Order: sequence, then structure tokens, then C-alpha cells
Amino acid sequence: MEPQVHIQSSWRFRDLLEAAPDGILEVERDGTIVLLNAAAERMFGYSREELLGQLIEVLVPDSLRDRHQEHRRNYSDHPVTRPMGMGLELFARRKNGFQFPVEISLSPIRSPDAFRVIAIVRDITSRKQAEARINAMHQEFATELATKNQQLEIRNREVERANRLKSEFLASMSHELRTPLHTIIGFADLLAEELKGPLNSDQQRFVEHIQRDSRHLLELINDILDLSKIESGRLELNLELFKAADAIMETLASLRPLAENKRIPIRESLNPALTIVADRLRFKEILYNLVSNAIKFTAEKGQITVECGERSDGLFCAVTDTGIGIDPAEQQAIFDKFYQLGSTTRGVREGTGLGLAITKSLVEMLGGKIWVESKPGAGSSFQFLLPRTGSEATFEAPLDSKP
Amino acid sequence: MKRILVAEDRPASLELIRIVLESAGYEVVEAVNGEEALEKARGDPVDLILLDLQMPKINGFEVLAELRKNPNFASIPIVALTASAMHGDRERALSAGFSAYIAKPVDLRVLRAQTERLIGSTKVL
Repeated sequence: MEPQVHIQSSWRFRDLLEAAPDGILEVERDGTIVLLNAAAERMFGYSREELLGQLIEVLVPDSLRDRHQEHRRNYSDHPVTRPMGMGLELFARRKNGFQFPVEISLSPIRSPDAFRVIAIVRDITSRKQAEARINAMHQEFATELATKNQQLEIRNREVERANRLKSEFLASMSHELRTPLHTIIGFADLLAEELKGPLNSDQQRFVEHIQRDSRHLLELINDILDLSKIESGRLELNLELFKAADAIMETLASLRPLAENKRIPIRESLNPALTIVADRLRFKEILYNLVSNAIKFTAEKGQITVECGERSDGLFCAVTDTGIGIDPAEQQAIFDKFYQLGSTTRGVREGTGLGLAITKSLVEMLGGKIWVESKPGAGSSFQFLLPRTGSEATFEAPLDSKP
Repeated sequence: MKRILVAEDRPASLELIRIVLESAGYEVVEAVNGEEALEKARGDPVDLILLDLQMPKINGFEVLAELRKNPNFASIPIVALTASAMHGDRERALSAGFSAYIAKPVDLRVLRAQTERLIGSTKVL
């Protein structure tokens, strides 16, 4: 039974050898090939008969042959098992002279009578090709990325330049428009003062038209400038801690005469202790715009209420009037630039159409939101909500404040 | 009568300011650019100088700097006049050493009030 088992295992061993996808060769100490499998035949393009008895160097490219012999001698002096992938990138030579990249693992076999080495050779041509393709792709991506980055940088510089030009344009436009307005308004005012002689009633009316419309033009220029500054992010916020009620009362003080002219009382319902971190000037500007709008669109003997209180999500303010109201279809558009209420406001088109756009931008700059509730004929209520802690985290509260 | 030097390169604006100031009882000396402003300032003494900031060649800031070097002008109020209304303009003018800042379009009442505040009224009647 014993020999039978041996023969069987020997066949099995041969099958295993022949089925292996890697080339397997057995080499004597002096480099003579004593065994090879089918994969090695295919890989190197030699038949088994051609290779058996040859020196292993026949499979090494000409230029590397001398070094290989040296390596082989060193290896037989200090044989260690070297697994695949542990070595350098190696090259092998096919019968037709072609070189191809290989990975080789070496295992010394020591028997009492001989020293041999088993070499397992893997053709890594396709892996190398894949690597090369990946490298090429990497290279391509890197190049593309560099180009894109460069383009982005150029774009950034262009945007910066455009922004600077816009600022310069705004500054000079503002100056150029104000310069002639200065003399138009100035001489109209001078005429109205009748320093150089009295005007008849027609002339007085003409001069009033010039005064009113030139001031309207000035307002437009100021508003456009403001809006451009807000939109280009150049409006600086000065955040401070203050009592909302104080700022509101100051704003109302400057608007009361206007309201009293139309016999419109302004009532306020304010929490006097409520503080907020915001730009005080801009906060007052928001209220000023809303309240002056309310006065403008409310008939004589109407009423305006200004409320300010705390809500879980911030500081809530509402400016409510008993004015003409806004059609639901128009309630969103009124915050657009140059939007003026249509048919309902005949005769009240004295604003620039920018007030609410500016107001909305200011509210948003302070990190809040603004909306309107209104019923045509019954009045409007403009409401906004601001974060109480300011929109910038870098703010440091002044010491003199009492929350 | 108090004398005011007005430097302004735009004739219409110069005339407007002259009429307003003269009607308030001041004598006005006109200069149409920075060079002339310097020249006239060094001539007969004036009580107040009104400088437009944007003048060709020598602008208002430069005229101010030149005048402030001279101790004779140390106590004379010098007022900036400008149509530029960008943020920080007023602060820049005041920190440069202007005594006051008046924005264009000029409110005639403001012009008279500022002048009176700085050098007093000269209306004798």
C-alpha cells in the first residue's frame, strides 16, 4: 500500500505543479534548471526540453545576466525564503528576446546531498500596464486639477478686480451724480428763498417741482449706493449690545412729526429691558424704513403700532398700520428692487422703490428674516425676526451693558 | 466784514456758495483751483477757508496740508466741501485736520449755520 500512496501523491504533486498559474522552476546551486512547469513554458516561450539543463540566466535579459549570477551566488550563501513582491522590480526574457516584468519568490530547498532553489515567477505585465494606466490617469487628473486651479485663481483675481472696479465705479458715480445735483438743488433752494426778488405763484410752484424732484433723485442715488454696498458685501456692521426699545424710541422720535402731519398716532408696545447684539444704526434704519412706509401708506387719522418683544427664536418686531394694505399677489414682490405697488397706490409713488429691498437686505445681513401680513383695505403688518446674539461669532459684548 | 476764501473748480457751485455767503453778510474771495487757493490764502488775511476736496492738480487735502504747515493758518478754520459721500469720508477729512465737513448737495441752512458757528455772524444790522 505504501508505494501506491507515494505514486498517487507524486501524481497529485505533478498536477498541482502543472495547474499553477505562476511559472515554477527548480534550479541547482550552479544555476542549472532541473524542473519547470507548463506555466513557465508558456511564459518564457521555451519548451521544457529546451530549458532543462540550461542555466537560469538564459531567462534573464542580457544586460542583467552578470548581476544575476552574482545575486544567485550570494543567495546560495545566505538562502532565505523571499516571498513575492518583496524584491525589486525584476525583468525576465522570453525566448524571442522580449523583456517582461516579473515578480519572483524564492525558496531554498536543502537536502543532505544538494542545495536547490524553487523560483516562482509571476508575469506582472498586465498589472504593470494597469499601474501605468492608473499612473497616467493620475497624472492626467493632476494636470487637469492644476489647470482648473489655475483657472480658478485667474477667475478669483478677475472677481477681485471686478469688485474693486465696482467699488471705484460706485464711488465715482456717486460723486459725479451729486456734483450737478448740488447746484440744481442749491439754486432751486436759493430761488425759493427769494433772495434776489419775489417769485409769482407759478414760479414758486415750478421751483417747488424742481426742489422735490431733485431731492427724489438724490434719494435714489443714495439708495442705489446703499443697495450696491450691501450687495457687494462692503457694508460694514458695527455690532454692539443695546436695548431694542431705546433704539426704537429714538427712531420714532424722528418720525413722529411726519406722522402728526397726517394725524396718525404711533403707539408702541415694547419690552423695555430687551437687549440685542446688532448694528444699532442699521437696526434703526430698518425701523425707520418700515415706519416711514407705514406713514406713507396710511390715510389721515389712521393708526400705526410698533411692537417689539422676545420670541424663543429671537427678537421679534412688527410695524402694523391701518393703511391701504397689500394685495396677496404683490406681497412677495414688494421686497424686490424698484417694485412699487400698482393700482392701489396711485398718487403715493414718491419713494424710490428701493426702501423695502434695502430693508430686507439689512435684516438678512443681521442674520434675520422679514415678511409681511396684510389685507387690502385693512392694513399691513411688516414683521421681522433678528437673532439676539448677532450674526457674527467674533462679537465681544461691551462691559457697560446690563442684560 | 469777515472774509471767506472759497476754492471750488466748478463755476456754478462757486457762484452758489458765493451768493449764499454774501447774502449772509460775508465777503467772499474766490479761487478756482488748489494753486489759486494757496496763492490767495497767503494774500490778504481771511477768517475762514472753504475747500472743495476734488480739485484738479492740487486737491483740498493737499491745500490743507500746505496751509497747516504755516503757523499763520493754525487757528483759521478750514472746511471741507465734497460731493463724495462714501463711508469714512467725513472721518478722513476731520482726521486730516479739517475743522468741519460739508457734504454736497449743500443744504444752504447748514452752510450758513456752520459758517456762523465757526467765525460768527458779521451781520452788523
